[in-house]
Amino acid sequence: MDKVVDLYLNDSSTRRKWKHFLEKLGLNNFSSREIDVIDHTLGLVDDAGNLVGTGSIAGNVLKYIGVCNEGAQPGARFNKIVTALQQYIFNQKIFHSFVFTKAKYSKSFQHLGFNELAHTKQAAFLESGTPDVNAFLDTIPKVKDQKNKKVAAIVMNANPFTLGHRHLIELANQENDLVYVFVVAANASLFNTDERMKLVQAGTADLKNIFVVSGGDYMVSRATFPAYFLKSPDDLVATQTQIDANVFKNIIAPCLFINSRYIGTEPFSRTTSFYNQSLIQVLEPSIKVILVPRYEVNGQVITATKVRQLIKDDNLLAIQKLVPSTTMDFIKNNKEILQDRIKKGMNIDGN
Amino acid sequence: MEIKTTGVAGTLESSDIQIMISKGTDGIQIDLDSEVAKAYGDQIKKVITDTLKKYGLDNVKVKATDKGALDCVIEARTLAAAQRATETSDKPELGVL
Repeated sequence: MDKVVDLYLNDSSTRRKWKHFLEKLGLNNFSSREIDVIDHTLGLVDDAGNLVGTGSIAGNVLKYIGVCNEGAQPGARFNKIVTALQQYIFNQKIFHSFVFTKAKYSKSFQHLGFNELAHTKQAAFLESGTPDVNAFLDTIPKVKDQKNKKVAAIVMNANPFTLGHRHLIELANQENDLVYVFVVAANASLFNTDERMKLVQAGTADLKNIFVVSGGDYMVSRATFPAYFLKSPDDLVATQTQIDANVFKNIIAPCLFINSRYIGTEPFSRTTSFYNQSLIQVLEPSIKVILVPRYEVNGQVITATKVRQLIKDDNLLAIQKLVPSTTMDFIKNNKEILQDRIKKGMNIDGN
Repeated sequence: MEIKTTGVAGTLESSDIQIMISKGTDGIQIDLDSEVAKAYGDQIKKVITDTLKKYGLDNVKVKATDKGALDCVIEARTLAAAQRATETSDKPELGVL
């Protein structure tokens, strides 16, 4: 009878064995970006003491799941390791979990009650437990007769909320009956999730017909997208974008009757520009994508990246022109905290 | 009886069933995932519903992932999940079974 055991990857010989086992199964990305976020790893050992299965937990994401079916009933070890991983998170009162995996394994997870949210040729994204995506959609405010309204959506990280974001929202507001502003929930930015949310709310408080809502777990963030199962790191952006766009197109948009999505053009970041391209590819024609040229002040485009750089450089005067007064006040009042986060290694060049 | 948290019992292994119970608003709603749902779906749901009602629960969201469990297993797992969800595991009402 196979036994479930704890594996401690800090131990170098355990880690070597674990890595070797997964490599045999075709996984070969063991970068620190993937490994460092792991909270716990379980192993399955057979009667002879050989490692025959493993799986890991990072927050509420299951990853690095692999089993060897030799000498066992097909599926039995897989079911056992997934059950053990779920039991582990249930004990921590986490009842909702996700898995990002190779497309070909999607079915195996679906057999265990996972619900597929999106898939591409390479990858699949599934969830299990409660509260699920339907519960998330239930919490989003709606208006009467929304089906017959012009509804637009904007997804932003807003790190922090600038006049550029404001411009995009204003434009969508003018052209539609209702605008959803989804703020990315992944907490991997200089301004934390709560701060970003509050600054968007404060910066749009004077506008009507706007709902500022959290993107929850369903606006898949590049920062937290697990890439361990992809063949090459280059596939990361393409896969993440397609998964994200498909969740939006097939699940979020139909439920809220969203017919257009506004995005800013991207003159500087190659990644974001690439992201925009694939977004258009997936969403069109069922959802219209409206590319809005970046907002400029005195011939200079506004980016949140620049604002973060100016915070680092302690040049608050220059920020004044780039952000609404609500964001400015927050930066003024929290300058030391923000600068401290940068000093402690928070990356400010990303998104 | 009041549901205080999410309660889970059971595994995803063969001949077992995993029951997850959380607060509901609209009666007992069961989302059942089973290979044999076509043949035994109604029976599985009946066992879950009866067990919950006997335990005094009327508004419950149930997610059940069945791997071919027998009725007695379904009953036991439902009861355990209900006790965990109502935080009454320390004072079990065994009379329900």
